[in-house]
Amino acid sequence: MSELRQIAFYGKGGIGKSTTSQNTLAAMAHYFGKKILIVGCDPKADSTRLILHEKAQCTIMQLASEVGTVEDLELEDVCKPGAAEFHPDDTTITEGYIMCTESGGPEPGVGCAGRGVITAINFLEEEGAYDEELDFVSYDVLGDVVCGGFAMPIREGKAQEIYIVMSGEMMAMYAANNISKGILKYANTGGVRLAGLICNARMTDREYDLAKHLAEQIGTQMIHFVPRSNHVQRAELRRMTVVEFAEKSDQAYEYRELARKIIANDLKVIPKPLEMDDLEALLMEFGLEEEVEADAIGKKATA
Amino acid sequence: MFICGYHFPAAMGNKVEFDKVIEKVTAGAGDLSGVSSITLTSETREGVKLEEIGVEKGSFLFTALVDYYKNTDVEGDFKMIYYTNKYQISEISKAVDGEKTAAVCKKLDDMNLYRVKVA
Repeated sequence: MSELRQIAFYGKGGIGKSTTSQNTLAAMAHYFGKKILIVGCDPKADSTRLILHEKAQCTIMQLASEVGTVEDLELEDVCKPGAAEFHPDDTTITEGYIMCTESGGPEPGVGCAGRGVITAINFLEEEGAYDEELDFVSYDVLGDVVCGGFAMPIREGKAQEIYIVMSGEMMAMYAANNISKGILKYANTGGVRLAGLICNARMTDREYDLAKHLAEQIGTQMIHFVPRSNHVQRAELRRMTVVEFAEKSDQAYEYRELARKIIANDLKVIPKPLEMDDLEALLMEFGLEEEVEADAIGKKATA
Repeated sequence: MFICGYHFPAAMGNKVEFDKVIEKVTAGAGDLSGVSSITLTSETREGVKLEEIGVEKGSFLFTALVDYYKNTDVEGDFKMIYYTNKYQISEISKAVDGEKTAAVCKKLDDMNLYRVKVA
């Protein structure tokens, strides 16, 4: 049995992190027989819906508030097997499987969302969810590590290799750089490493060049460029991953290739985040932003 | 790190020299004497076919596409080229093939989907 790898997908909200992670993890199970536990760390609790074929899984925090405390929960209450081919008992397509759990969080506007993540991971560890049969534990984490709670999987040394989902848009790159700062902060104490950027493409001009150069400057790799495809949305409407929905489609092949690379990846680095000026210079170099004269700041575009 | 589908060990860092990639791609393509033509096709994201493009023999682009066709696990007569690979192949070709493939590389740098057939 291979050693358990604890990976995490970070990225700006709305970048397609949960979609990318679920489709990639599905490809790891479907094509490569990997046994995986997903720990959703987003209060939206949408990190597992495509694997479960459900709207949203009941979260650990939700269930704990129903029964009183998290100590009153059983592992089976919160950790569900994936649907169809991702169920451990279904070996018709693959020996691989995916188990799913969502940490959840407080009501919007109340309390600390990171607390749910901390409680959930501690509970899962204590209850033996990190089974020795597993090949991967994957954390799907919101945001850009502004809140220390969301940094918990890296702060506590749970997630060892981080994949940042980004695109060629400025805020996505800003978030990627910011997440790198979070990784850097804990790299020496917890052993966490940046394993690559995944460009979930918006199909903007020179997006590949931009993502590749950002990755190079941070000290990592742009491990895969995932093109946009209507298959992703079509599969999502059926609450499925692309590898189940259309396993021979071009998009399924793209996820398979990304899965192959993650499985074989050994480039795990302590990142070198950029200063804001350098990030802006990168955007200008690749044509997303034009250099602006000082007297043009705050002026409307001319017709 | 991964370039043109090949894995380069972490010890080589995150900027692998083109020579090392060309070495692997050339070995992967094998004997090219039996290859008479390569046909590239482009299409939009919606699947609308745009054009067929020929590739000049003797270029890195030619070798890389033969290597891709032979070694990828993508199925089909015309094999879809991963976006990552087409950008990486184009980047190296622009550096080593110069004008010979510049026009094709300019196309490969766009957002369209490309397929390749080797005969």
